Amino acid sequence: MSETHREILRAEHVTKRFGPVTAIEDITVSFYTHQITGIVGDNGAGKSTFVKIISGVEQPTSGQLFFEGRAVKFRSARDARRTGIEAVHQDLGLVESMSVVRNFFLGMEPCRGLLMDMRRMREEAERRLYEIGLRNLKSVDQDVARLSGGERQAISIGRAIAFERKVLILDEPTSALSVKETQKVFDYMRNARQQGLAVLAIMHSMRQILDIADRIVIFWHGRLIADLPNDGMDENVLAEYLHNGLPESATIAT
Amino acid sequence: MNRDSTMKEHVALFDHADRGWKQTFQSIVRSRDSSIVLAAAILVLLFSLTSGGQFLQGSTWPTILSSTAELGIVTIGVALLMIGGDFDLSVGANFSFSALIMATLMEHGESGLVGMLVALGIGLFIGFLNGIITVFLAIPSFVATLGTWLIWEGVTLVVTGGSTITVFQRSVVLNLLGGVLVGGIRWEVLWWVVIGIVVSIVLYRTPFGNAVFAVGGRAQSAREAGVPVRRIRVISFTVCGLLAAVAGVVQFGHLQSMASSYGEYYQLYAIAAAVVGGTVLTGGRGSIVGTMLGSLILSMLDAGLILSGVSTFWYQAVIGAIVIVAVAMHTRLSRLVRGGD
Ligand SMILES: Nc1ncnc2c1ncn2[C@@H]1O[C@H](COP(=O)(O)OP(=O)(O)OP(=O)(O)O)[C@@H](O)[C@H]1O
Ligand SMILES: [Mg+2]
Repeated sequence: MSETHREILRAEHVTKRFGPVTAIEDITVSFYTHQITGIVGDNGAGKSTFVKIISGVEQPTSGQLFFEGRAVKFRSARDARRTGIEAVHQDLGLVESMSVVRNFFLGMEPCRGLLMDMRRMREEAERRLYEIGLRNLKSVDQDVARLSGGERQAISIGRAIAFERKVLILDEPTSALSVKETQKVFDYMRNARQQGLAVLAIMHSMRQILDIADRIVIFWHGRLIADLPNDGMDENVLAEYLHNGLPESATIAT
Repeated sequence: MNRDSTMKEHVALFDHADRGWKQTFQSIVRSRDSSIVLAAAILVLLFSLTSGGQFLQGSTWPTILSSTAELGIVTIGVALLMIGGDFDLSVGANFSFSALIMATLMEHGESGLVGMLVALGIGLFIGFLNGIITVFLAIPSFVATLGTWLIWEGVTLVVTGGSTITVFQRSVVLNLLGGVLVGGIRWEVLWWVVIGIVVSIVLYRTPFGNAVFAVGGRAQSAREAGVPVRRIRVISFTVCGLLAAVAGVVQFGHLQSMASSYGEYYQLYAIAAAVVGGTVLTGGRGSIVGTMLGSLILSMLDAGLILSGVSTFWYQAVIGAIVIVAVAMHTRLSRLVRGGD
């Protein structure tokens, strides 16, 4: 691949505590344009917490974020979204009791005057969901509660892609999808990479991670223990890292 | 890219013919509301029979509509708050306290306008305080407003000594709040309808309304989408407090007198009316039109029972039964359409 990788997002010494629980500790890592980074780690390793911090949902206890070289402080997901970071969280971030279209634009509703531009919202949501391959959705006015797990995941991903940001974060985006649909999500990710986005994906399947990621970052007990290029890495080696931490105590530098 | 061909295909797939305001209207007047209209119609029929026709007489309706408006304005605020996932048990105390302040000011020679503005300011402040306490101390609103209910009721009793304040002076403001508009129907009925329309539009057509539904439906998702959850909740509490005071001052405009007991149980009747109207106790779903019909049903019950010669003591018992029946019906109904409202 010949695209130049430019650093777009960096976390420096980021720590997050929930009361007595230290979810992540002293995470320093950078993300680059035109690159898919796979984030792996055992349950409770702190992956989702890290992703929530860089997408503005949670605020770090200490540490600093940089976006395109500038120090940034996200007080909410809205700040992060406006800066250029879009995320699909592990819980999908949908409101079941609301319609597809209202979910789609939640927090970013296009308006005409004071009122939401419902026509534009419907057309845009329909077009985006059609493009992403959700083609037998009856109406964008139906409640999310009526949709299947796969359909919900597609809506959540479609929403994240629609806003055309610079960083796309996916926290276990394929957990409810069939093999065929998973490949579709991989296509979006490659597409986003081609357009120059920094793509971050958390996945539990080693096979999937090795298939899609250019680079793999490993979390272990709240710490980032390895940051490796994905050049023919072995599945077993990766699994070894996940469960036992580093073979030696040395951290592999970026 | 082949976006053009994709576009054509998708246009064929979705029907754009009747979108826009019609759709909005449909979302405001949900199918669930039609069952409430039916319930109201049945009540009218029933009471016409049991009251020997008296219930249908023209003179009955201005009274029913006035009490509907007074309860209804409170209920609209309570319903908005419930859709956002919160409760306000202090609206009854707020109603009496703010209206009593207006009455006291007028008793001491202040103009109706000043009295009204101060009263509305107090209602707004009480609501805002409820929001701050609930959101920033992270206390369930049910408990927080149980506390503020008792606090404000206590303050009211201390200030007024429990007495009734009557104002005899004529005032344009009092007249515009609760005086007769046309055919025995009072201005307050118009204000109720106007407030209902405004709040409906805000809920269904503005980003704020979208946020309220989201916060009530699943606050964490709202937060992840960047909705300022705490701000939305505090604003909803504030609006609810303001509307409680509005209801208080229109009733004062109507009766020209006020006492701490006038707002008693309003919080419970308001929740009952909202629930009868299809607002869900767990938040995220509800309808302002349904809520308004719910207030009408409660007021019709009040008048209908009296005209039918039933002891007014039965009113509470009947409302209690109606609430249970209504919730059971709504639950069935929404199960039938699988999560739809
Ligand atoms: N809001 C919270 N309050 C308290 N503790 C939390 C909170 N969120 C996360 N934690 C804790 O932080 C740690 C890391 O959790 P996190 O969800 O980030 O893990 P994860 O790597 O995403 O795991 P999984 O693979 O299961 O999704 C866990 O011990 C978890 O219990
Ligand atoms: Mg996780």
